[in-house]
Amino acid sequence: MAYWSGGEINMKNKTGLVFFPAFDWSIGPVHPEREERLLYTRDQIFEEGVLDLPEIVEYRPQVATPHEVARAHFCVPGVDDQVLVAHRIAAGAAIRLSDRIMNGEIKNGFAIVRPPGHHAMRVVHGNRGFCTINNEAVVIEHLRRTYGIKKIAIIDTDVHHGDGTQDIYYHDPDVLFISFHQDGRTIFPGTGFTDELGGPTAYASTINIPLPPGVSDKSLLYVIDNLVLPILKDFQPEFVVNSAGQDNHFTDPLGSMLITAQGYAQVTEKLKPDLAVLEGGYAIESALPYVNLAILLAMAGRDYSNVIEPGYNPEKIVENTQVTDYVRKVVDHLQKVWEHRRSLTVSELCGNSKYYQKHKNIFYDTEYFEEKQLEKVRACQDCPGYVLIDSHATQPKIGRCRVMAISIHGRCCKKCIEEAWDAYNDAKKDYRYSYVYLQDKTEDTFITFRREDQKEWHTEG
Amino acid sequence: MYIGIDVGGTCTDAVMLSNGKVHSTAKISNTPNDLLSSLLQALDAVMQGVSADEVERVVLSTTMITNLIVERKYDPVGVIIMPGPGRKLQQYCNADVHIISGAIDYRGREIIPVNENEVLEVIKKLERRGYTKVAVVGKFSTRNNRHEIKVSDIIKKYKPDWHVEMGHKAGGQLNFPRRIDTTVLTCATKEKYHYFVQSVKEALKRRNIKAQVFIMKADGGTMTLESSEQAPVETIFSGPAASTLGAQALTASGDTSLVVDIGGTTTDLALILSGKPLLSTKGVMVGDKLTQVRTLAVKSVPVGGDSVVEIVGKELIIYSERMGQPYCLGGPFPTPTDALNVMGLTKLGDREKAWKAMKMLGESAGMSPLETARNIINLVVDTVAKEIENMFLEWEQEPAYRIWEVMQKRKMRPQNVVGVGGGAAGFVPQIAVRIGGTPVLPPYASVANAIGAAVAKPTLQVTMRADTEQSIFSIEEEGYQGKINQAPFGFDEALNLAKKWLIDKAKRMNIADQVQDIEITRQEVFNIVRDFKTTGKIYDVCVQTPRGIQWHIGAGGKLI
Repeated sequence: MAYWSGGEINMKNKTGLVFFPAFDWSIGPVHPEREERLLYTRDQIFEEGVLDLPEIVEYRPQVATPHEVARAHFCVPGVDDQVLVAHRIAAGAAIRLSDRIMNGEIKNGFAIVRPPGHHAMRVVHGNRGFCTINNEAVVIEHLRRTYGIKKIAIIDTDVHHGDGTQDIYYHDPDVLFISFHQDGRTIFPGTGFTDELGGPTAYASTINIPLPPGVSDKSLLYVIDNLVLPILKDFQPEFVVNSAGQDNHFTDPLGSMLITAQGYAQVTEKLKPDLAVLEGGYAIESALPYVNLAILLAMAGRDYSNVIEPGYNPEKIVENTQVTDYVRKVVDHLQKVWEHRRSLTVSELCGNSKYYQKHKNIFYDTEYFEEKQLEKVRACQDCPGYVLIDSHATQPKIGRCRVMAISIHGRCCKKCIEEAWDAYNDAKKDYRYSYVYLQDKTEDTFITFRREDQKEWHTEG
Repeated sequence: MYIGIDVGGTCTDAVMLSNGKVHSTAKISNTPNDLLSSLLQALDAVMQGVSADEVERVVLSTTMITNLIVERKYDPVGVIIMPGPGRKLQQYCNADVHIISGAIDYRGREIIPVNENEVLEVIKKLERRGYTKVAVVGKFSTRNNRHEIKVSDIIKKYKPDWHVEMGHKAGGQLNFPRRIDTTVLTCATKEKYHYFVQSVKEALKRRNIKAQVFIMKADGGTMTLESSEQAPVETIFSGPAASTLGAQALTASGDTSLVVDIGGTTTDLALILSGKPLLSTKGVMVGDKLTQVRTLAVKSVPVGGDSVVEIVGKELIIYSERMGQPYCLGGPFPTPTDALNVMGLTKLGDREKAWKAMKMLGESAGMSPLETARNIINLVVDTVAKEIENMFLEWEQEPAYRIWEVMQKRKMRPQNVVGVGGGAAGFVPQIAVRIGGTPVLPPYASVANAIGAAVAKPTLQVTMRADTEQSIFSIEEEGYQGKINQAPFGFDEALNLAKKWLIDKAKRMNIADQVQDIEITRQEVFNIVRDFKTTGKIYDVCVQTPRGIQWHIGAGGKLI
């Protein structure tokens, strides 16, 4: 006799999927980031019947709230001015999956969503590299605030350097950011070199692995086995996010790498991300349908060995031996950096200055304008310090605008918190700043001050 | 005059409707293995005083194919598939599946050609094992059916008397594993379904009825008797669909209602949202097979009037299985029906026996018979109410692929709780109170299924994908692929082409009068861009006849 228990099913071994192809949104009709991008992926995933697999459960995306966005970003002048509904849904998809993972409904999740996010930095004056808000950062801030997760790792497997994610977590020792990508001298955004290792309070919590064009599955797996996995093992993250860009594929029109769907699946199997979020990948016919399918099957623990691109020809994607050697050298170098990371103190890294500071020029390639930044972090011996960003840009939406943005890390010491609030109050009096922002992660508070009418808004979680 | 007939497993229900009113109803116990005589009895019972000429339409629903499949009484089918690259199909290890070369991609382009010698090898194997029925299914065959046709032609050349069924005809939607199962089931049930069609024709002929005859589909629509022979699988679960439509016909139009059909061992829940029955997003599972057949979203809760109730410690437990009649009707165990009897909510069964059943059950836990009965009813109501809430949550959580779908407000709860089926009167008022709706126990609730059949309307749908870069278009439901001959071919041309296919289809089925209104349910345009140049467009268009029912009956039967 079967006992009627009310329909609870053990879902702990399931993989969650949010598929949000945004069939009604594009940057422009012929732009790579257009409605058609996930059309064939949709066809392939539906035709394969993977949504009927007992291991896979599909969810509807939710819409990220402005406050959830403001935990990760300073949008100038405000969240609603920069962020479209499409962006909030893509980020919301990641939030939905993270919640299901945390409540134990699923073991991991894959957000096959657009628009992407990993080029979106802490300050947002517009869209860059097809990204406006950083889906990974929004979900990470949600996880920290809602579930008190301390240590998180992001592995960026897109062909482009995840410069936005790096920017947001450069001074955060609790978030390990590892990005492998095609060398910045050969591709957008031109950054991500081995010496970009994080600020003095977060040294070696940023690891960049620039790879020469022409890397195939073999060398990529070498990087994963010999560098990424050992670092992850040392760092012991509680949650692993994969920025799952797919433009390392051998057919990608923007990248020059030789990775296959099988290679991507193996990388996924090794990284075991809790949450994977689609980033770039613009070979919408020859790569995406197969790579997305292979990653999804790998996450669900299913056999992906038959997912082979029609254009796959092993003879045509052979890696040059010089490339192989070069990759080994990069790995050797970074292994040493990682090994010696603890031998450097904060004062050794920035002398005895109170602040570590950096000038940045940030180019917004979608709308063609530049932002100038002076970023300062308090080189505190007791905590990760707070960050001050003096930013100005002539963005198309509001013209020339200078802002001051202050971010207080969730583990900031009392002294740093006081200093940061003082800095905020000082900036409010400074006529040069049209807007002054304060993000206090110790209290989950976000404040915007507008000089024009001396108005101040608070949002709280 | 419209006749609706629901041929169930044990009973055949029939109604005759005249100008939106119930003229007569009938409930006939089936004569085993004699469908014709059951049909004739049902017709005679509802047609009293009406001449055959006055009958304009006859609609039937049947559980025959559902039962065949569930009981695995269908014919063996050999399966030939062309999966190409992608997922490995492990679940087909049990069936006699033969994988051959040949692959098509998502845009209908050939990736790997078919190898004729492989087909010949498979034919030999199938012949040795005694198959005469074969399903031929390719991945993405709905985008290009050439491979399936080629393989089928080879088989027919060597085995002209074999029955070959092709995937693009049987399962036109995207989902290869479900297409395989749907094709196998179509192939396996066609012959047996033919017997049903013959019986229906014979019965109507003997009673001189020359009206149009339709068969209920699982989605609440109908198809003509002739066209149903091509897709017998479409009839599965048409019984619950008929009940839902019946409940819809018996309530006011435009209402949001929950239909609760409380039977012996299960309670079926269905939703009518703003006057439209909710369709399931995916095809239905029948037996162990996942099909592409879309049904109304009916949720089955394994609790009914005859479910066995036991006590463990101080806790009452309802089991999903039926062990016979309720105690008050001479059965072996206490059931919810006994509880209803004790509470005075049903007149069914012997009152003393019902009290005895409750006494036996509650004694060890120190509960009086009345308390026990009340607790059982609460337990049933709780269980059903919980599933109702889940059903709405599931509906709210359905995946969305477009911004407007995400932003649409989807918070809705039913105005009415409509009870049909034997146990409805006892439980529905309490379920309605629990979820904050108005209980409705409509008249004729016991033949709601036949009423639903009588008011059901033909539904036709055409889903077209046109690809102007390749100058081709495909019609999903027909498995047809053709060339685009018009230039320029823009959105209007795409929409008109889809509409033309819908109208032609209606004409072929002799129901041209049903396509005066055409609803567009999807219209999407994708630019095909290569090297930053637009090289073509993809038009994805879906048109259909409006879904709905012929009439609403009477005032709606509201209690309050």
